[in-house]
Amino acid sequence: MPQRILFGAATAALCSALSTAAVAETVTIAQNFDPQTLWPNGTTASDNLNAGSAIVESLFWQNPATGEIEPLLAMDLEMVSPTEAILTLREGVSFTNGEPMDADAVVHSVEVFMDEEQAPAYARVSELLESVEKVDDLTVRITLSDTYPAFELALSQISVTPPAYWQEVGLEAFSQDPIGTGPFVLDSWVRDDRLTMSANPDYWGELPAGIDELVWRPVPEDAARLAGLQTGEFQIVKDLPVSAIPMLETDDSVSLVTVPSYRIYQIGLSSHPEPVSPLQDVTVRQALNYAIDKQAIIESLFFGRAFALNGQVLREPQPGFNTDLEDYPYDPEKARELLAEAGYPDGFEISFKCPSGRYAQDREVCEAVAGMLADVGVQTNLVLLEPGEFLRQLRTMELAPMYYVGLAPQDDPGFQASQYLSSWRYSPIANAEMDALIEAGATEADPEARIQIYKDLMALMHEQAPIIFLYGGVDVYGTAAGISNLAPRGDGRVFFYGVSYE
Amino acid sequence: MLRYILRRLILTIPVVFGILVISFMLTRLSGDPTDLILPPDAPDSAREAFRRTHGLDQPLPVQFVTFVGNVARGDFGDSLRFHQPALDLVLERMGATLELAAAAMAIAILAGIPIGVIAAYRRNTPVDIGVRGVSLLGQAMPSFYLAILSIIVFSVWLRWFPSGGRGTWAHLVLPATTLSFQLVALLARVTRSCMLDVLGQDYIRTARAKGLGERRVVWLHALRNAFIPVLTVIGLQVGFLLGGVVVTETVFSWPGVGRLAIQAIYARDFPVVQAVVFLFAMIFVLVNLVVDLLYAAVDPRIGYK
Repeated sequence: MPQRILFGAATAALCSALSTAAVAETVTIAQNFDPQTLWPNGTTASDNLNAGSAIVESLFWQNPATGEIEPLLAMDLEMVSPTEAILTLREGVSFTNGEPMDADAVVHSVEVFMDEEQAPAYARVSELLESVEKVDDLTVRITLSDTYPAFELALSQISVTPPAYWQEVGLEAFSQDPIGTGPFVLDSWVRDDRLTMSANPDYWGELPAGIDELVWRPVPEDAARLAGLQTGEFQIVKDLPVSAIPMLETDDSVSLVTVPSYRIYQIGLSSHPEPVSPLQDVTVRQALNYAIDKQAIIESLFFGRAFALNGQVLREPQPGFNTDLEDYPYDPEKARELLAEAGYPDGFEISFKCPSGRYAQDREVCEAVAGMLADVGVQTNLVLLEPGEFLRQLRTMELAPMYYVGLAPQDDPGFQASQYLSSWRYSPIANAEMDALIEAGATEADPEARIQIYKDLMALMHEQAPIIFLYGGVDVYGTAAGISNLAPRGDGRVFFYGVSYE
Repeated sequence: MLRYILRRLILTIPVVFGILVISFMLTRLSGDPTDLILPPDAPDSAREAFRRTHGLDQPLPVQFVTFVGNVARGDFGDSLRFHQPALDLVLERMGATLELAAAAMAIAILAGIPIGVIAAYRRNTPVDIGVRGVSLLGQAMPSFYLAILSIIVFSVWLRWFPSGGRGTWAHLVLPATTLSFQLVALLARVTRSCMLDVLGQDYIRTARAKGLGERRVVWLHALRNAFIPVLTVIGLQVGFLLGGVVVTETVFSWPGVGRLAIQAIYARDFPVVQAVVFLFAMIFVLVNLVVDLLYAAVDPRIGYK
């Protein structure tokens, strides 16, 4: 009998040893959605891009750990003139089907990227790219139609694909069975269930240590992603609800990684001639900024997991962030005074549109804002919109005069600023002075001068108050013990460069 | 019999056409998919290119004629998001959904009917009252709530079953029981009331009088007679099951059609929505035909000519 127990214990030990060995090699990532395409230029949705760019790499990448744009398949970028760039490519890199990663591949990839039919989601980023040509095997020349300060950011989004394979199978088949130069290759894909990748043994760079296999699982329900993290089914979980944080903080088997998001939440206050509203008066717009207790929203609706904006739409690490600015303080008394000064001593009534189910706690935020505005005499008629209808009304500016929105443009002050240009489709304001600064910034090649332009713009925008400056979002990721160096980016992007698992 | 089946099948043609019209119109009413599929800052030229590529720039009647023509050839168009044929996407996931629905239906039949029979037989005893209470609760509890509760209890606390996904039988347990819960409750209630009715009939007294055992009386004589309404309910509930998979599949990350449908609806992926609606409607029509035919098998007095 004791022998049998021993034998049993030994088998159990062996089994657990085997199973831990197997577990240590596979990292499972739970995201909201199954990718629709694994070609990173197919969409801008981070769940697609995360999986796709583990296989297909880009010329450069913006490293979230440093915030810098660093070489990947390109080694160097030289601006011969403000509109002519010479790219030097990394030598000796091949695609996993054996095709060389060379100037021909890059020319093909840039051409696809520039084509609105094939890559409509990136049309705004590629607008200023005019042509691309091969100089020699490892050198490519890109010509721009105008100065493009965010050119490096554009280059970080051009994914490089093997031209012969692309010609052979076409965009659609490529997006389901991609071939790239990346650290992982596609193994199998059971749609909506699991996407399995294995490490690329011939990878040109350093593979993430201890990860032989990556499994991407689409788990749409917040509670289920959370449960899978707690049970050890997932090693990396994207987009945890903020409400789960207090519970997870006491759990030693998981760590939380929080990242300030690129998404800036704001209440648009349209001052366009149509529709007529009290918001056309800058004093009223300022008054509304005083009326909102931003800190209370951050603390009570987001458990502190959101950041104050300091009265501007640029985030602290971005060039042009103006350190002289501060948030409008919460001062309902001052708000009432300003409203009286503007001729609304008894406040006014206004329509307020809000998406329901597009952003975290969107409805609750809107209700809080409506309550605070009512406190200073501004009665809002809250209209809740389904996300699709909300986006349509945003594009056509039917959300005006007042609406809640979270905007997450590309990580460059130029893209952030251009959303407030008079001619932009959903700009809440038409201000000539602001336009002049936005246009100057868009073509200014000197980085120092550009920073000054955006600082001035932020100051002017603070004063003009085309929006109520609310807060910046925070993304929450959960990781199992053993995962190190995971540094997600503020746009929901997860990379595996430098990540290890033990 | 064969002629009856044929006639029923011919009658489905107008139903199919109606489904095509409704699914086409309703998706178009929901708005323009370009807003959801391209980022809000995409230039207008890119939007137009997207609409052109997917034929959304054509007038609606032209789009409809093209759509019906293509469907007649088994082509529902390409998904706006996946760039793959919509029908393939749906069929690829149909196996998972049918597996889940069949498991849930099996649980509902194997648990719901016996529970109903026992409750009727032991009418007004604590067993009956207990069954009635639990089935009321079962029908009232929203399935997403039950689903999340069962994940917390059975996978996070007890670690008995995985929290989601598809694979082994263990993956099937939580979603299938959750999906079947309301159905078990409903079948138990319907069976109970039908059984109560039958148990009071003269022929049951006759069966007992001629000396048959209680078991034989209840499970053969009474249940068979009480079965027709139960069968009708089962047939109708297939529709409920196909609706219920949307919630269950989402919560349990089950890779089925329901989840594909809900995501397609949110993203206004017209071709996928139309393919799902069409297939689900076809299943519903066929199940009802099968139920009608089963009546004849259960009750010899019913015949089809």
